[in-house]
Parts: sequence; structure tokens; C-alpha cells
Amino acid sequence: MFLYLLQQLVNAISYGSILGLLAVGYTMIYGILGLINFAHGEIFMIGAFTCYLYVKFLKIPWFIAALLAITTSVIAGLLLEKIAYRPSIKKGSSVLTIFIISFAASMFLRYLFMLFFTDERKAFPIPAFFEKMYFVNGVVIGLRDIIIFTTTIIIMIAISYFVKYSKLGIAMRAVSYDSKTANYMGINSTLIIKTAFVLGSVLAGISGIEYGLSFGIVNPSMGFNPGLTGFIAAVLGGIGNVPGAMVAGFIVGIGEVLFVAMLPSIYSPLRPLFVWVLLFFILFLKPTGLFRPNVKFEGGWGE
Amino acid sequence: MLLSMDNVSTGYGKAQVLKNININIEKGEIVALIGANGAGKTTTLRCINGVIRPWEGCIRLNNKEINSLQPFELVSLGISYCPEGREIFGNLTVFENLKVGGYLVKKRDKLNSNFDWIYSLFPILKDRRNQIAGSLSGGEQQMLAISRALMSNPMLLFLDEPSLGLAPVVVENIFATIQQINSEGTSILLVEQNVILALDIANRAYVLEKGEIRLCGECKELSRSEYVKNSYLGII
Repeated sequence: MFLYLLQQLVNAISYGSILGLLAVGYTMIYGILGLINFAHGEIFMIGAFTCYLYVKFLKIPWFIAALLAITTSVIAGLLLEKIAYRPSIKKGSSVLTIFIISFAASMFLRYLFMLFFTDERKAFPIPAFFEKMYFVNGVVIGLRDIIIFTTTIIIMIAISYFVKYSKLGIAMRAVSYDSKTANYMGINSTLIIKTAFVLGSVLAGISGIEYGLSFGIVNPSMGFNPGLTGFIAAVLGGIGNVPGAMVAGFIVGIGEVLFVAMLPSIYSPLRPLFVWVLLFFILFLKPTGLFRPNVKFEGGWGE
Repeated sequence: MLLSMDNVSTGYGKAQVLKNININIEKGEIVALIGANGAGKTTTLRCINGVIRPWEGCIRLNNKEINSLQPFELVSLGISYCPEGREIFGNLTVFENLKVGGYLVKKRDKLNSNFDWIYSLFPILKDRRNQIAGSLSGGEQQMLAISRALMSNPMLLFLDEPSLGLAPVVVENIFATIQQINSEGTSILLVEQNVILALDIANRAYVLEKGEIRLCGECKELSRSEYVKNSYLGII
């Protein structure tokens, strides 16, 4: 039993890494624009799915395909910002309207891919190099798991430093808090917002590829569940708080996998329940999430 | 002439707020814009800053028209805005707020010397430099807001209601520092509801009423004017 859990822990850490990257992307975009980009899960899907397409149909070598896939994610993110979000924000649309637009964008991207490729599950190309496995004390650890975890940790450390110490990072946090005043400082808020989208999309793209490597299967609707879970992790980590989202991503990911692992297999479909129950409890005890959020609360509720 | 507004009219949507405004600022001056609530003082600043566009008229900085510039472009031209209500970045530390203020300063040693200048003007900001800005007192936040605006080495500093909500002792201290800043070379456009303070510190003033310039002139004369004394200083 213990060995089984240990094995599941390996999977859990990979899944936690994937969610962590997604959560950071969500939190960055929410932090800077005050909007929940529901289409973020689709950017994740685009990273994974286009990598598959580039390898399978364009016969591009895997590593280059991966880079192209991440670039495609970034382009998708920028288009989303330009077409779906910026016009409505400029017009001063209500939060609800933008919420609906974000949802619609998510559906649009998902169904667009389904139109061309159906929702059939495809096998994600895994380079032979990644298939290596290690046997450690009865537990199987794939090279992929190690690479996924290491890549994620490196990215997270880099982003933490970037957000906290770099000029651009501080500017992003300033724009998150008050984009109007940031303009008065000479910061081009629109450019900073685009940068946040680029960064968030890079993370989502990488996360998608990691998912493909870890689970081996990609399809157009793959973004829905991880996207939602990633969003929940972002909320749990204190919305707008980047390190918070990273930690929360791991907590949620590891928790979800271990939760299902410990239940009899009949209860496996209840897997999503874990995340929602966790969200409920943590918000009940700490409404703003585990860590300090990074958005200006304009008049709280009875503060 | 550093800044000039020539026959500027503007408003929000269909509502006209400013009518034929003519304001000049010369290098080295402190010019005050005084008037009651709703007279259009902040609107004037917003118009110069590019947040709203003039419907008519021309705004010039060093004889170059700036009507259609975006707010963030003005900083590189030498205008810095300290907004009404401070509007500091409450989620950042004092140091980070200042760093944002100096966003466009390219050279590291220039940035550092700006920090030194600020810390000499407002020593308390140095003490509190790693403190989260949202936890500062009102007076300290005002000092931070002014310092943040100074980090870009502006030629022209806009101060929007710096005395608002602050205790008189604190205000005195801040206004003394404002004078010092001016004596070190920064021209200032001061928007103030506190007429006594404004006329005391400024060289010239414009009195704004319902979107029009009612009076303007040297502050010494204005503070002797019967009209100003009756309407704004409560002296019958």
C-alpha cells in the first residue's frame, strides 16, 4: 500500500507541476486585468495539441515542435487579449460581460479545434529520450517526471525572481494594483498587460506539453478540467499572488491524486470533488486564499 | 514658457467642464490653481495629462503641442503627476513605489542619486523603505506620492490637492519641502482647495470658478483682493 502511494506521489508531483504552471498563468492575468481568463485552459490545450500536430503532420523534430507550440500558445493568448478582452475593457464593460466573453472565447477555441480534428483522443508524441524509466526501491520514476518537475521548479524560481525584483515585474505588480496611476509614472500599461498575457501563455503552453508527456493523450477538450482546477488553485493561492499560485498548484495537484489513490476505485469519478471541497474549506477558513492576494479591493464587503 | 494652455475647453461626454482656459507656467515658478470643489481643477490637470482630450484649444509644453499624447508619454517629456488622494501602490513597498516612479530612468547612478535626493527630502521614507506602502500614515503616503513623482526628475510637477486629509502640522512640513523642491529647480503646478496655503507658497495663481478662470495674478496681490478675501478666505 505504501509503495502504491509512493508511486502515486510521483504522478502527483508531475500533476502538481502542471497545475502550478497553469495556476500562475491564471493568477498573473487575473492580477493584472481583474479578469478570469477562462480560455486559459484552451491556451494550455493549444500548446499540447499543436505540438502533436507539428510532429505528426509537419514532421517537425520534437524539440522544435515544442518551441513552435509554445509560440502558437503565445500568439493565441495575444489574439485573445486583442480581440476578446481589450475592446470590452476599453468600453468599460461590466465584470459579468467580460466573464461571459471569456467563457465564450473558451468554447470558441475548443470547438474550433473539434471542428477540424474531432474530440478524438490522440497520442501525444514522446521522444524516445523521454521514455527512460528508473526503478528506485520498487517505485518507477520516469525521466519525464524528473524533467517535468525540474523544469517547473526552475521556471517558478525564475518567475518569482522576475516578479519580485525585476523592473518589469515591479511594473506588472503596479499595473495590477492601479493601471491608471501606473500610466502617470510613464509605464505603458497596455504593453505591460500584453507582457502578462505573453508570460501566462508561455506557462500554459509549457504546462500543456508537460501534460502531454505525462499523460500521453491530447484532445481538443483536454483544457477544460485542468483549466478549472488550475483556476481553483490560483484562487486558493490568493488571487494575483504568483508564488501563492505555485504552492497552491502543488497542493491541489498532489492532494487530488493522493485523494483518489487512497479511495477504493469505485469512487474515482469523484476526483473533481476533492478540488471543490478543498476550495470550500480553505475559503471558509481564509476567504482571501492561503496567501495574500495582489489586487486592490475597491471597498471590501464590510471592511 | 514651459507650459501653456490656450483657450482650452473640454468636458466629459456631453458635459462641458472647462471653458476657454488660459494658463501659463514659466520655468521655476510655483503656479497655483485654486477654486472650490467641482470648479474643474482636477479636470484641468487631467486634460494636460492626456487622460481627457481638449475639445478646443491647444496645450503646449516647451512650445510643442501635446494635446494628443497619452499620459505615459508625458513623463519622458518631463511632466510628472502626483494624483489627488495620493494613489500610491499599496501592495508594493516604499522602495518599490519609488522604483516605479523612476521607471523611465535608464542610468543606474542617476536612479541612485534620485533615491538619495528623495531620502534627504523625506528622511522618514528612508526609514520605512521596506515597509508596505498601504500601511503608511496619510502624511507619509503623501510624502511617498510626491517623492514617487520626483523620481523621474520632472521639469514640471503637478500636485493635486496635497493637503487633503492631512493634519496641519504634517501639511506645514510637506509644503516647506515643496518649496525646497521648487528652489532646487522643479517648476510646480499646484492644485489646492486650501487657498491660504496655496497663495502663501505660490508665485502666481489662477482662480477657477465653474470651469472658467475668474482671476489670475501674483499671489501677493490676490491675497489682498477683496473678492478673494470674501469668497475664499472667509474674510468679510
